[in-house]
Amino acid sequence: MDWSAIFGVSLFAAGLRLAMPTALAAVGECFCERAGVLNLGLEGMMLAGAFASFVGADYADSAAVGVAAGIGAGVALGAVMAFLSVYLKTEQVINGIAVVIFAQGLTAFAYEKLYGQSGASPQITPLSNVRIPGLASIPWLGPVLFEQNVLFYVALALTLGVWVLLYRTRFGLSVRAVGEAPAAADAAAVHVDRVRWLALLVCGGMAGLGGAVLVVGQLSLFNVGITAGRGWVAIALVIFGRWNPLLVLGGALLFGLTDALQLRIQASSGGINASVPYELFQALPYLVTLAVMVAATVRSRRNAQPSALGVPFTKGVSQ
Amino acid sequence: MTTVELALPHVSRRAGQIRTIGATLAAVALGLAAGSILIVIAGGRPWSTYRDMAGGAYGSLFGFGAVLVQTAPLLVIGLGLALAFRGRVYNIGAEGQFYIGALAGGAAVILLPLRLYPLLIALAMVAGIVGGGAWGWVVGKLRARWGVNEVISSLLLNYIGIFVFSYAVRNPLRDPEASSLASKAVPDGSRLPTFPHLFTHVGILVGLALVPLVWYVMDRTPFGFRVRMMGLNADAARVAGVDTSRMIVRLMVISGGLAGLAGIVQVLGVQGRLETTLSQGYGFTAIVVALLGRLRAVGVLLAALFVSGLIVGGQAASIDQGLPYAIVLGIQGVFVVFVLVADRFARA
Amino acid sequence: MEGIVKRFGSVVALGGVDFDLRPGEIHGLLGENGAGKTTLMNVLYGLFPADAGTISFDGRPLRLRGPQDAIAAGIGMVHQHYMLVPTLTVAENTVLGERGGALLGRRSLEAVAARLRELGERYGLGVDPFARVWQLSVGEQQRVEILRALYRDARVLVLDEPTALLTPFEAEQLLPKLQTMAAEGASIVFITHHLEEVMAWTNRITVLRHGKHVATVRPQETSTNELARMMVGRDVTLVRLATGTAWQPGSADARREKPVAAPTPVLCAEGLEALGDRGTPALRDVSFLVAAGEIVAIAGVEGNGQSELEEVLLGIRTPDAGRVRLAGGDVTTLDTASRLKRGLGLVPSDRYRRGLIRELSVAHNLVFDRIGEAPFGTRFTLRKRSILARAVELIEQFSIRVSRPEQAAGTLSGGNAQRVVLARLLGRDLRCLIVAQPTRGLDVGAIEFVWEQLDAARNGGVAILLVSTDLDEVMALADRCHVIYEGRLVGEWARGEFDRERIGLAMGGVRADVRETDRPTALAKRDVR
Repeated sequence: MDWSAIFGVSLFAAGLRLAMPTALAAVGECFCERAGVLNLGLEGMMLAGAFASFVGADYADSAAVGVAAGIGAGVALGAVMAFLSVYLKTEQVINGIAVVIFAQGLTAFAYEKLYGQSGASPQITPLSNVRIPGLASIPWLGPVLFEQNVLFYVALALTLGVWVLLYRTRFGLSVRAVGEAPAAADAAAVHVDRVRWLALLVCGGMAGLGGAVLVVGQLSLFNVGITAGRGWVAIALVIFGRWNPLLVLGGALLFGLTDALQLRIQASSGGINASVPYELFQALPYLVTLAVMVAATVRSRRNAQPSALGVPFTKGVSQ
Repeated sequence: MTTVELALPHVSRRAGQIRTIGATLAAVALGLAAGSILIVIAGGRPWSTYRDMAGGAYGSLFGFGAVLVQTAPLLVIGLGLALAFRGRVYNIGAEGQFYIGALAGGAAVILLPLRLYPLLIALAMVAGIVGGGAWGWVVGKLRARWGVNEVISSLLLNYIGIFVFSYAVRNPLRDPEASSLASKAVPDGSRLPTFPHLFTHVGILVGLALVPLVWYVMDRTPFGFRVRMMGLNADAARVAGVDTSRMIVRLMVISGGLAGLAGIVQVLGVQGRLETTLSQGYGFTAIVVALLGRLRAVGVLLAALFVSGLIVGGQAASIDQGLPYAIVLGIQGVFVVFVLVADRFARA
Repeated sequence: MEGIVKRFGSVVALGGVDFDLRPGEIHGLLGENGAGKTTLMNVLYGLFPADAGTISFDGRPLRLRGPQDAIAAGIGMVHQHYMLVPTLTVAENTVLGERGGALLGRRSLEAVAARLRELGERYGLGVDPFARVWQLSVGEQQRVEILRALYRDARVLVLDEPTALLTPFEAEQLLPKLQTMAAEGASIVFITHHLEEVMAWTNRITVLRHGKHVATVRPQETSTNELARMMVGRDVTLVRLATGTAWQPGSADARREKPVAAPTPVLCAEGLEALGDRGTPALRDVSFLVAAGEIVAIAGVEGNGQSELEEVLLGIRTPDAGRVRLAGGDVTTLDTASRLKRGLGLVPSDRYRRGLIRELSVAHNLVFDRIGEAPFGTRFTLRKRSILARAVELIEQFSIRVSRPEQAAGTLSGGNAQRVVLARLLGRDLRCLIVAQPTRGLDVGAIEFVWEQLDAARNGGVAILLVSTDLDEVMALADRCHVIYEGRLVGEWARGEFDRERIGLAMGGVRADVRETDRPTALAKRDVR
């Protein structure tokens, strides 16, 4: 195995790139979980965003339209989740799974309707990389950070934006209060349900954008299994990052690196006839995520988790 | 309030039961209505499509046989999930448990040099239960001991389980002569027999036998009652002496074991070998079945028959009417959401 | 406020109440639990809309769509259970819900902190604006609540049971600060059910009973007995109950005549050590014993390790050190079910959350800790008829008011709910009963019932451990009393030695003879719930 080829600059560049969709979804989930809503529909929102962005980019021949469509689809599903969890106040875990099944079903249906007859899997024109002059010439760091495509920078900016939103705005303060002690927030004249609605819309939008980045920004194609569990990994990353957007982003970057690493190892070790089964590498990101989530939960979950997570708020419920 | 309580009328049983059944029927009706919108979008005609679907599924012995084939795994997995969900143990990893169970049972059948086929089948089923149960045990132990969210851990184990399965199929158990990637075939004698006129294997009997058993456990045993207590209020249950940690592990093992059983039954009854296409998403569809069935044994049976009818009917309709099969998936997705909404209004 | 009516479902919490407040006065709002005092003030604060009636402020009518309108009008409320977000800082909690610019950077919070420090100095309510609320002691948290109201320029300050969570010492410190505020023109409403407090601290007193206004008087014109009668409206025994004086255990004297042979300890705690949920020590070297036929009380302000102690005794929490013995046998490693089988029982402090399963029927709630044992079935069966029969028996025996046994337990009122919990436990063969805050939030009739049941159980030979924040209750019921402070047991008194003042001081962490001066740093280290 050619280790130098594996661990080169391109590994990190690829790692960051691969990490972005998951990072977007994870940071979005972090935001809505800080508001106290457990959104297990994330995988469905990413899928819907991926599909919508593909359709948008294909039909309008424009990446921007695709991305907008992806965000829109994510927000729409976020609204569905909010309707179930915040308005109807039914069990959040079940709502999330329902949204995933819902999204998977409709996406499969729409995909077959629109593209089923064409046979070969359709493609859209891929986005080219943007090279930031000057900065891109920095050895090692240059190609890694400053030669990615537009969506990468948008995604990075947004994830940092969520941090600002959460910690430096009034709305973010309300979000944190609502997830920790909704009764106290209510007594302070914060509209608990409205904050949760908005948090879910933000989360849905981020997840949809994540799907869009995956399709429009990276793979330039679509199939019904394209998200491959990234949504679930994102939720695990929120636990790993102790509900802090920056740590969550870091975790996502780590996950992306692992993903890029396993792809390279697979490629370099000769594929199907190798001595180490390639399924092990395919499973590696999931194993790592599982291990990481367990470690994070064991060490710190009870202190870091928002106290009202998963519990719907009803005014005036007595103890 | 949770889906668990919604499924369990305890106050004036009659009125509660009627309301729940009414809510479910309303949800189904709404789901079918939304489905007709999808059908129209796909360019078909709702009424004739539904008629074709019903005819394809229930109109002939052949069709009904196909329905039963689909019902077998959905029923068995669904029963396990219904029990686990009652205790608020959300096992989303049934798909992985299905595959691991199939692997364990299939390996037993392929590798054991036994000729006494009834015994071999029985051993295979035990192996399947143990395999699936062990896969579920991991999730349960993680939750009971450290509070690790079982939805995520069971999901991640899904992917890992499928990878383990595909490795085993590709390497140790591989059939070198097969055209597609598949394991060696199981010995002919260990294949489950089919009913004479019904075009379906006897595996459905396993599911049918489980229905009264699971009903009894849920409704008439202290264990089932404690599961319900835990699902409604884990804190109070603990104070009342319920060992919630042990119960969580048990529920995961039981639902995992049942999923594993479904897996080996599918191998012995349908494919006859281990292939990666063994499950058509049964692990997830079973969630829909469990929810539609209101987490009750008889409900799960009816829901499994219904959803299987949708699947088979959908295949028939797609051939006859040229509609994408994925309509069925779309309808299923819509159903689940409507069931939750209808629930809520039935309660209010 | 005129003619305020508020209904919750079929329960009329307020049936047309009038209440007025003058500038610069401290007005006491008195009534027993459930009389409607908190509800009336919640209406004033905009948490609930009134079903009928009007509110006017400064002569002008006041329409309240929510707390934001009340806050804008200058009404501030300090709730009984503090409405603070524990993980946020004091400054952040103050600013929460304020209308203002979208951004909230360091500079804005600095400004808030400066104002808080200024207000704190003026009224003697010093607190670090950048401390996180969970790090503060209960007394400091109350200061935060008051400061927050003052920060919003509250001219009316409502305090709901402000001394409930304070040590007697902290409670004494609060009054002068309130008087300072009143002197500067603020009006203060002081909700309480403690008669001495209201007599000592207020300018006027309004008494509510069963959601109706009974009287408004000045402390000088009345007495505690008269107030008690107005609060309760019934006969003398209950009057004395309300004043916390003179409830006598039924056959106490008779019991004490009997020579007691060496009492057999039923419950033994030895050197218990345990960590709390936040990783800080919650129990430190706790040892005590309870003999058959006695009530041992553990008094203390909430948050000093009581819930952890309950959990360790019951088997829900594993102690880091120490042993628990029940009826002579070591149960430290046994699970809850085994301990229950050996005759242990717990009446939890939060009866709705851990004492009942609201969605199950009353019948089920009466027996659910014994499902699977005879006569309710075997390990593999349930005998529904026996369950129902027993339920009917218990309903009769404990006078539980339900229309049918199949009724859902969540619909029960506080007193009834507690009857169900007690019935479930006392209807068994108990050897040791742990009761935590058994009469919190109950009206006088329910309190009397509970006390009678506990007394009867004690006389029947049950060993009872009473964990309570209510000194009246402790002094009325207990044969021996410990005080728990910061996880340690400090002090033990036998019934003849009960000294209210010393026990009260011990609850505040003061050793018997030493007078305490303000020690904010020591208090700040406490792990507070």
